[in-house]
Amino acid sequence: MTTLRRFLRRLAASALGRQDENRLSEEFEHHLALQTADNIRSGLPPVEARRQAVLKFGAVEALKEQCRDEQGLLVLDNLAQDTRYALRSFGRSPLFALTAVLSVAVGIGADTTIFTIAAGLLGRPAAGIDEPASLVDISGTERDEAFGINQISFPNFVDMRERITTLEDVYGYEPVAEPMSLSGAYGAERIFGHRVTTNYFAVLGVRPTVGRLFDTRASEQPTAEQTVVLTHRFWMRRFNGDPAIVGQTISLNRSQFTVVGVAASAFEGTSLIATDVWVPLSTTSSPTSDLAQRGLGWALVRGRLTRGVSVAQAAAEVETIGRALEQQYLDENRGKGLRLAAASSVPGNLALPLAGIVTLVMGFVSLVLVIACSNLAGVLLARATARRREIAVRVAIGAGRARLVRQLLTETLLLFVLGGASGLLVARGLTAVIVSRLPAVLPVPVALSLALDGRTIAFTAGLSFVAALLCGLVPALQTSKPDVISTLKNEASGVSSSSRLRNALVVSQVALSIVLLTGAGVFVRALQKATSIDPGFDPSGVEVASLDLSLANYTPATGQEFFRELASSVRDIPGVQDATVAASLPTGGPSRYGDLFHPGVRPSRGEQRLPAEWNVVQPRYFSTMRIPLVAGRDFNDADRDGAPQVMIVNEEAARRYWPGQDPIGKVLWRHLADFRRGQDNSPRMVVVIGVVRDVRARLRESSRPQVYLPLQQQFVAQVVVAARATHGQRIAGQIRQVVTSMNNNLPILNTETLEEAVTFTLLPQRLGAFVSGSLGVVGLLLATMGIYSVTAFAVAQRTREIGIRMALGATRTAVVGMVLRFGLKLVAGGAVVGLLFAAALNATLTKVFVGFPPIDAIAFAASATLFLLVGMTACFVPVRRATRIDPLAVLRYE
Amino acid sequence: MKNKKDVHQGTLALMALKTLDLLGPLHGYGLARRIEQISGDLLAVNQGTLYPLLLRLEQEGAIASEWGASDNNRRARFYKLTSVGRKQLQTETRDWQQTAALIDRFFAVRADDLR
Repeated sequence: MTTLRRFLRRLAASALGRQDENRLSEEFEHHLALQTADNIRSGLPPVEARRQAVLKFGAVEALKEQCRDEQGLLVLDNLAQDTRYALRSFGRSPLFALTAVLSVAVGIGADTTIFTIAAGLLGRPAAGIDEPASLVDISGTERDEAFGINQISFPNFVDMRERITTLEDVYGYEPVAEPMSLSGAYGAERIFGHRVTTNYFAVLGVRPTVGRLFDTRASEQPTAEQTVVLTHRFWMRRFNGDPAIVGQTISLNRSQFTVVGVAASAFEGTSLIATDVWVPLSTTSSPTSDLAQRGLGWALVRGRLTRGVSVAQAAAEVETIGRALEQQYLDENRGKGLRLAAASSVPGNLALPLAGIVTLVMGFVSLVLVIACSNLAGVLLARATARRREIAVRVAIGAGRARLVRQLLTETLLLFVLGGASGLLVARGLTAVIVSRLPAVLPVPVALSLALDGRTIAFTAGLSFVAALLCGLVPALQTSKPDVISTLKNEASGVSSSSRLRNALVVSQVALSIVLLTGAGVFVRALQKATSIDPGFDPSGVEVASLDLSLANYTPATGQEFFRELASSVRDIPGVQDATVAASLPTGGPSRYGDLFHPGVRPSRGEQRLPAEWNVVQPRYFSTMRIPLVAGRDFNDADRDGAPQVMIVNEEAARRYWPGQDPIGKVLWRHLADFRRGQDNSPRMVVVIGVVRDVRARLRESSRPQVYLPLQQQFVAQVVVAARATHGQRIAGQIRQVVTSMNNNLPILNTETLEEAVTFTLLPQRLGAFVSGSLGVVGLLLATMGIYSVTAFAVAQRTREIGIRMALGATRTAVVGMVLRFGLKLVAGGAVVGLLFAAALNATLTKVFVGFPPIDAIAFAASATLFLLVGMTACFVPVRRATRIDPLAVLRYE
Repeated sequence: MKNKKDVHQGTLALMALKTLDLLGPLHGYGLARRIEQISGDLLAVNQGTLYPLLLRLEQEGAIASEWGASDNNRRARFYKLTSVGRKQLQTETRDWQQTAALIDRFFAVRADDLR
């Protein structure tokens, strides 16, 4: 009790400051006076009496110290003192403090931004959900596919739901919200609807704002009445928050849906694409028989762990159930399994490769922080060296080493506290910029929360602390054991260990900066190469609109008719040279419509398939895209359903499948992609009728075999209609008019030019070049600052030496040469190390990540040259200062 | 075993409390003189060590201090025992007496009594 009371009083005294400093002096003085008086009374002369009194009392100052220590908390007092001292020294050199805080802020801000993005993408969806930590994702696995979005079939889902015990409940959902057409008196609009099973809200613990949410007792079979739940944001935007909308019907994709309620405002859905409404998953345009297909992928699954169960336990059970289902239904479930993992915003098995990419980016960005820190460490070392006299005096008086180290560390910690806080602001600004630029870059609205929450702040704080320790510990330890005697005698120290350390720091800065710079060079060159490849088609002047017929109740027959009419109507638009409808653009799209085999080879799944990229196109596709027809003919109206199956291949396919022969008339077996019960699944024979030039999809250098099927023989519901304008004018509006006149409830999902689509496929390269370029520039700047400060410092240190040399007859050129040699030695050393490291890193990354640019000699050479030039420029000012040294003045000053 | 400094501090504190209990409020010098008188050599030198001790006792709440006038009308700080301090004194006195009695019994025992 007494110790607690004492502690509290000491804490209060420390925090509030002590006002009774004088009390001690007065009290001691009083004591001494009384003792002196007593001594005089016993016969001592006054002076001796006083002396005896003091001797008897003890060391006055030391006792005062003891009293002061008793009064306050030593640790707190020292911290306060150190902080005040550090702030004062910042005030004396504001430029240093400002640049230090700024460079730390940039490094930490960049790292925090990447972390925020990673947390948003890979972390659990949390907004408005009960206990998000117990959510888990279940996806299907296929033996030969490591990554991808593998949906579980409905029968498998039902069985799993019945058998599982470690999960409270599971629901099914589409990977992302899909575009839907909302129409009515208020006009047509494209919105995004997320299809989920009816127990979605119950499992997540979401409550309604008005009305109710889905009736969980409803079965997954489609009912006559179709229901929809609105998101709060959509409700506010479209219906102005009017509660009367509950019970009314809205028209989605030409069907009537009854609005049963609005979800809580905090809940924005679990799809990465921003959700406007939810509809039950049973409301699908595929026939009901699809739900009975055990081999047909239906949805992804998410569940909640039963209380007290761990993720590992649930994962084991799910895996067992998966294996049991495979054995039970070998036909449909062969090679398929079930996998459980903690829930993440990224669907399916994509989380792992995404995490890898994010780690890589974080690593690169952290290099900037490391360079900034080593820069700072060097500067701190220099400052400490300048204060070495003061430190030597302190050590001589008796200051403990720990105390000195603590004081030097406090300065660094303060810098990093300020830098970290500013870094948070930088991150806030960067994320705001990213969020505002996303709609321009992506074709769909994304629900990605980049808010700075507790996780981010904790990350920033931890990072700042670790960086501060690493940065400040070495200079502090170095300078707290000075060579006291020689420093006090003011002897000139030559190259002390601290300058060697500074030089080493600069060399490492140069090396890291070169790594960043070569990285930037490699990405820029990759971008250059990608844009200079001949794509194999002419992207200029083509307008593209995407449609989805599956939302509008078309059958394959009516759909084909619609496409035919659409293509000819668009061709009739004035100013249109040519038009066509196809499954995807030459830039690439969903690619598999089955497997190909050579005739004569026993068709068995998974073996000896011929690799190919697919597209399904109407006639006039190749002329619209200006892909040259090299042999044979284009599709025509005779190639329809019922006629012999035909295909067109590209040159690469012809080279691979029939080397040295004429491909026209050759035949391949085609297996359908989806196993459908009640459908003829036997392999079809397809004849080659034409050969076209290679299209460089995604602008890769090497060609892939490509095959084209006629749209009339393979119906696809999601298509693009492409029209080439004679003079390259925009015709999006007219295309929209044509579609609306044919069917005014059919949503146009997206319009863009072919050039824009091509640019979009280059997004990874453009992004890589931009980010690495910025990092490279920042790293270059920081390293330049480092080179400059070290060279300037070296010149200042060796002023006497230079002066003496000049007095002895050294020419100015010789002095310039000396300084330049010093600077360039650092730069060259760092450059060599950096280039080697960069080469090794590049080689490793190219092996690990598909698509990472390979080592580019030109990029490496260019960055090395650039750095040498910059290094020389950095030495410019110190060199000038060196030549201006007046030897007479130097010799006179001792 | 406690080191000499702690023992010194502990006994000094006890003596200070007892002295204040007996004689009422005193200032620092007066307290030092009385302790020196009673204990002989213990506080003959380094009398200043009393002051940090008094500060500590004040923080623990055993004593309270206030400004007052000394004999020659100079301003002096007077210390007096609080109720908390009185209780502490009683407890410590009892502890010391118990310890002393126990040690006495041990020193009085002869080898034969333990066989």
